[in-house]
Amino acid sequence: MDNNWELVIGLEVHAQLKTESKLFSSSPNQFGSDPNSNVNFIDAGMPGMLPVMNFGCIEKAIKTGFALNFQINPYSVFERKNYFYADLPQGYQISQFEFPILSEGHIEIENDNVLKKIRIERAHLEQDAGKSIHDIDPKYSFIDLNRVGTPLLEIVSYPDFNSADEVINYITSLRQILMYIDVCDGNMQEGSLRVDVNLSVKKPNEELGTRCEIKNMNSFKFIRQAIDYESKRQIEVLESGGKIEQNTLLFDTSTGETRPMRSKEFAHDYRYFPDPDLLPVHLTEDQIEKVRPTIGELPQQKLNKYINDFNLEKDVAKIIISEKSYAYFFENLISSKSIKPKLAASWLVGDIFSFIKEKNLQIQDIDDRSNKIIQLLEMIESGTISSKVAKDILVEVLQNNKEPAQLVKELGLEQVSDNNELEKIVDDALKDEEDNIMKFKSGSDRVLGYFVGKCLKATKGKGNPKVINELLLKKLNK
Amino acid sequence: MTTIKEIKDQLSNKKISVQELYDDYYNKAKKSELNSFNQLLEPEYNKQNIINSQSRYDEEKDLPLDGIPLGIKDLFCTKGIATTASSKILEKFIPEYESRVTQNLLNDGSIFLGKNNCDEFAMGSSNETSFYGPVINPWKNKNQINDHLVPGGSSGGSASAVAEKICVASIGTDTGGSIRQPASLCGVVGLKPTFGSCSRWGVVAFASSLDQAGPITNTVEDAAYLLNSVSSYDPNDSTSSNHKRDNFLEGIGKNFDRPITIGIPSDYLKDVSSEIIEQIENTKKHLTNLNINFIDVEFTTTDFALSTYYIIAPAEASSNLARYDGIRYGYRGKGDSLEEIYVNSRSEGFGEEVIRRILIGTYVLSAGYYDAYYRKAQRVRRLIKDDFQRILKDVDFILTPTTPNEAFKIGEKLDPIAMYMNDIFTVPTSLAGLPAISLPSGLSKNNLPLGIQLIGNYFQEKNLLQMASLLEKEFGFNG
Amino acid sequence: MSDINIKKVSYLAKLALNDDKAALYEKSLSEIIEWVDNLKKIDTEGVKPLHNITEKNQNIRNDEVVKNNSTEEILSNAPEKAQNFFRVPKVVE
Repeated sequence: MDNNWELVIGLEVHAQLKTESKLFSSSPNQFGSDPNSNVNFIDAGMPGMLPVMNFGCIEKAIKTGFALNFQINPYSVFERKNYFYADLPQGYQISQFEFPILSEGHIEIENDNVLKKIRIERAHLEQDAGKSIHDIDPKYSFIDLNRVGTPLLEIVSYPDFNSADEVINYITSLRQILMYIDVCDGNMQEGSLRVDVNLSVKKPNEELGTRCEIKNMNSFKFIRQAIDYESKRQIEVLESGGKIEQNTLLFDTSTGETRPMRSKEFAHDYRYFPDPDLLPVHLTEDQIEKVRPTIGELPQQKLNKYINDFNLEKDVAKIIISEKSYAYFFENLISSKSIKPKLAASWLVGDIFSFIKEKNLQIQDIDDRSNKIIQLLEMIESGTISSKVAKDILVEVLQNNKEPAQLVKELGLEQVSDNNELEKIVDDALKDEEDNIMKFKSGSDRVLGYFVGKCLKATKGKGNPKVINELLLKKLNK
Repeated sequence: MTTIKEIKDQLSNKKISVQELYDDYYNKAKKSELNSFNQLLEPEYNKQNIINSQSRYDEEKDLPLDGIPLGIKDLFCTKGIATTASSKILEKFIPEYESRVTQNLLNDGSIFLGKNNCDEFAMGSSNETSFYGPVINPWKNKNQINDHLVPGGSSGGSASAVAEKICVASIGTDTGGSIRQPASLCGVVGLKPTFGSCSRWGVVAFASSLDQAGPITNTVEDAAYLLNSVSSYDPNDSTSSNHKRDNFLEGIGKNFDRPITIGIPSDYLKDVSSEIIEQIENTKKHLTNLNINFIDVEFTTTDFALSTYYIIAPAEASSNLARYDGIRYGYRGKGDSLEEIYVNSRSEGFGEEVIRRILIGTYVLSAGYYDAYYRKAQRVRRLIKDDFQRILKDVDFILTPTTPNEAFKIGEKLDPIAMYMNDIFTVPTSLAGLPAISLPSGLSKNNLPLGIQLIGNYFQEKNLLQMASLLEKEFGFNG
Repeated sequence: MSDINIKKVSYLAKLALNDDKAALYEKSLSEIIEWVDNLKKIDTEGVKPLHNITEKNQNIRNDEVVKNNSTEEILSNAPEKAQNFFRVPKVVE
């Protein structure tokens, strides 16, 4: 940063849990339904209604505890956070305060090949609020309670971040892990993951500065913009002799600036107290341990396996593990052990990813093509077809669900590897090419490529490039 | 013919029909000037229920409370029937759901006459805070015959209606004494079950860790009938107890087959009037026929119970009443902003005592005060609970007066603290979550009923009712 | 006098008190707080706060959807609604 300023950031990530029903009521935990259609009387805060805890949410929290190296607390307490807002029917949010379910976790993030440990102070369960729509009418706001009571896991980091890059890395890793363990669907557009960014600046060896909190961010692009803007703003204020006022801010995506939320006097006295309608959570060791095997392999474990056991390049491996669905697809391709992982990987991150990107598809959309792709890769592996031919066949498989073996047969696309046949082709290619032969003999490797291309063209792409190469070299070096 | 058993016999023997019974009570209730009902249901509403009930009697398949006309405290959400909590803020609220307790009563065939008046949001000890006006005690001070007296609160409407005999029984709620104290002032029986016995689902919440539904009746046996119906496990209430319930009628009128010890706390009787002391002595005398051993016991926490209660209950209430904001139901005040609507709805919709308790509750939970007040009170509460357990190790029941005084004049007690003192004998039991019953023991020199309270250990309602029924017989109190 | 900030307390509770009422409630509150202050006299060193009188295991529910209530039922008592939403004056954040 300029002028010796250090950036200090802490993050509060709110992850919506992937459960069937809500945290304290049995209405559906679903996004995108008609307004006020996933609401029951408990969600709506009707008189006399009472919360009952969904154990599925506890299990998701325990899973997260294992995956993020947390201490899982057998005893935790739900408390009421009291405040008034139109999207908060009860006039309080049921959360956890003094006794959260998870404490002292950490993950490692990587920046420019350097690993950094990010410490996570705690994670607790709480209810989400409803939605207010402010911008469809000049006079009124409209309240939809569908989201009221959706289970959230709030994950609070220590202020261990010193750059926007680290923040993005962390959120990416966190999101990835949560999706891997099926705790959160990671859909940021739908608000499944929302981040509050706590930011302050200071000079080295100085005390922490006053921080501001930028609330409710759900886009990597805007998080980066907000951090850039806010850090500059704070530095400007301090350099001109001013003081930072502790504030809650919103990031205005249209102007690219942060601005304070309407300041509320006395606003932050939430008067937490244990919710008398609920009993404390007492987990047995059994209940906790039962969850451990359900986690499966975590991204880091897969990455290590891909690099060390499958010999994939780090960059390629990273791409594959970036989404659980990619890893799943990849591991499916190599499950029969008839294809080398390296081969499968290069085709996956190359042609296959290009295809789905171009067609705006998800990897799951071509799940039904997996077996045909395996067939294709097997043919490449065994030399039955050349890579060039394979590329074309792949398109037919992905686009039109054609069967590779059949296509190869129908169109006579088998790779030609026969020495005699190819020797004729090579001889033909070298005819009347005295100039180029001279060029090769004087050290030009590019000419070799030209000849290989000429031979491949003559074989309509079916020639085995390796054999052609060998034959050419033999004849050219005579 | 006024007890449930007598009525059921009459119905079974066709001495009276369900319709006649209902009409009789309905007409009496309509004529009453004591304001004990916020709403009397139109007979048309109950027509089908009455027909169904009669069929069951005709087929001799009658349910435990079939055809019995009941009052329901206006704190229970009754589906399709206005439920106001005696507050302006819920004046037109019609719940789309039935509370567990009232559903149980309906399942047992009872007929609802209407919703009983009560203190607003169950906050009060005299039924003077109701938006629908005060309830009047049917009893009169013989030396001030023209004075209207309070029935007690917060279930004042229930107690008054039962005492006036315009309903057979009523279901009320007790948070710090709200069933027992009005029962005592109106000369009827009132039972607060163990916390967790009756579901709180669908009961407008006042203080979640203290609220309990319970019967207000003319006899102990009637209370047992009602308790059989309303005490049940409810998975929709996380504080509901999942234990096997006794048949509470089983012990009624039977002698105990073992010696019983009853403790009388000297600290309760420290500053009471001689009349109250006499009441206790009188009770002891009445029980000499039975095999009862009275011993003196002493609590160490009695002096702190009211303070503990008046910190915890308002704190929970301040949070429970936050949902009344004019947005989704209830009274909405005018406002050009959300803030204005909140503030106007609540300030205009709530009465003075409710506002007072919300303010107290907000204060004791607020930053800087939480530890000194709320948390401290929670610690003292544990000491109170332990204190009771210590004493209940040596005794089967604890006997105390229910109230420190007889019914007083409406409008007489204006000071909040003087009003809170009414709960001095009932609050400790509430804090400990123990079951307790009040039954009338005699009359004061002003000819007003005085009640005594019997406290049992957790989930010992059957024994409690049994003991109370024996006492009742000995007292021979005739309302 | 007491240190009760009646303005703050009533703000948090969303209650409007005019000056007269504020003074009345402040007096009332300080009397009551003074009255409950007798708790200071009892020693609670080492005593765990009592949150729930039924100190049993927590009541839990399996992760299942049970039919929820209809939009009509949810909106049936709403003082102001529009097209299946609750309606309030425009909120500026």
